[in-house]
Amino acid sequence: MAADFLNNLKLFLFIQKSNIKTAFQNKTDAFVNVLMMLINNLAFFFMWWVIFEYKDNNINGWGIGEMALLYMSINNAFAGFALFARGVQTLPEYIDNGTLDNYITTPRNPLFMIATSESTFANWGDYLTGFIAFFISGYLSITSFFTMLAISFLGFILMSSYRLIMSSLAFFIKDSQRLGDNIFMAFITFSSQPASIFTTGWYKVLFLTIIPAGFISFYPVELIKNFNWSDLAVLSGGTFIFFFIATRFFYFGLRHYASGNKFGVR
Amino acid sequence: MTNSFFAKYGAIFRISFKQAWNNKANLSGLLFFLFILLFIYNRLWVVIGIQDNVSGYNAIYIWYLLLAEMIILSSPRMERILFNDIREGNMAYYINKPISFFLMRYTEGLGNMTVSFLIMGGFGTLVTLGLTGQPPFAWHHFPIIILMCYISSAINLLFYTGVGLCSLWLDSIRSLGMVVERLAFIFGGAIFPLSIYPQWFVNIAKWTPFYSIYYLTIKLVYDFSWYNLFEAVLLNTLWVSAIVGFVIFTYRKLIKKVDIYGG
Repeated sequence: MAADFLNNLKLFLFIQKSNIKTAFQNKTDAFVNVLMMLINNLAFFFMWWVIFEYKDNNINGWGIGEMALLYMSINNAFAGFALFARGVQTLPEYIDNGTLDNYITTPRNPLFMIATSESTFANWGDYLTGFIAFFISGYLSITSFFTMLAISFLGFILMSSYRLIMSSLAFFIKDSQRLGDNIFMAFITFSSQPASIFTTGWYKVLFLTIIPAGFISFYPVELIKNFNWSDLAVLSGGTFIFFFIATRFFYFGLRHYASGNKFGVR
Repeated sequence: MTNSFFAKYGAIFRISFKQAWNNKANLSGLLFFLFILLFIYNRLWVVIGIQDNVSGYNAIYIWYLLLAEMIILSSPRMERILFNDIREGNMAYYINKPISFFLMRYTEGLGNMTVSFLIMGGFGTLVTLGLTGQPPFAWHHFPIIILMCYISSAINLLFYTGVGLCSLWLDSIRSLGMVVERLAFIFGGAIFPLSIYPQWFVNIAKWTPFYSIYYLTIKLVYDFSWYNLFEAVLLNTLWVSAIVGFVIFTYRKLIKKVDIYGG
């Protein structure tokens, strides 16, 4: 078990090194893409700055500082997903065209192989945005810095798990790539709103269950503002429940998978 | 000549329309996303309304958002389709056919867009009515507003097809597409209307095509007047001329390059 973990970790690091080397074959293009991603994110943040200015920096108790923390959380989570587990998003395509055979016939863990099969270098721009947002949020301290790192990791796991559930629908529904994309986009849009508008009644239930955006937005922001172990436990527990459901659902779908008989070597 | 022109592109439009219509999974995902957008922004404006002790914010801004999303979301990712055609050499297969490659792709996109526009329009109108009650416009203006939005969607599609042609000079179109999309969101006031932005920003936005394609067109939903309609039509016409000029220039360059490399 430990040996397996170490082997996969070594492979993971090797894949990341290769991804960076590949991206750096055209350095200018790589940096321009990262820069464009940063501009893209900051432009969206500007839009929120406008609405907070319009509302005297107060939307149901949240100000632009809280919004910056939310931005940190969602950007770091998405960066982790896009850099280290983007293959999960391509899973429906693998299922539909039979390329999945290449991943399930190796001695390695199939989910690990699928997740690491793709990476988008431009999303380093999301990490950059996340760190900038954290530094301008006004909540900078040693504790909040380490909390931010933990939150970023948990956010990455949660986002990848949610995407895996959506992608695994392709085992049961044909041509479901855009269906999954749209539901995933809905999740990201839900997560990008000030959590203070969803803190009552069944909004909160929806916010933490069917679309678990609260684990990316509400809890991370509250944890950085006032660190406490019980919120961290809820966040970790929620994340690992989604991770468990996602992996179970993937393997359940895999049992329904019929090979496309596509021949290929990896 | 004219008849055969319309017959060819009409056939492409119909095929693309039917294909998009039959992709139920895609349409369901789109509607789910639209529903979530309307739902959460409605909540945002309701909360702001309660905070300010003003009712009806959501009626104005959610109708505005619906039309903005109909323009933006109905368009397929033309820049990525064109990028793949150009980079993977698919274009070479089409270029010697008795049909314009550019118009073929644009008409395909138009068929696809029309399905999404109609479905989102029908579904979105029902959801928005359910969420907000009374709309901020007179119903007899509604067909004109919808027609203006459809025309804006077609211009938006043309714009992104033009962005796709930039693949001629780029290694990757994804980031450029995203930045342009985000700038369109901001300068066009696609989520929040430009009326709440600072004046210095609106002054800059006025110089971009997004100001008329999105903002001036969508604004008709809560501020309809014949003057505003005329202003939107006039500015959209000017921007269409500029975009068409750019497309013709780039397309000619592209064709020449394909000739040089022999496809």
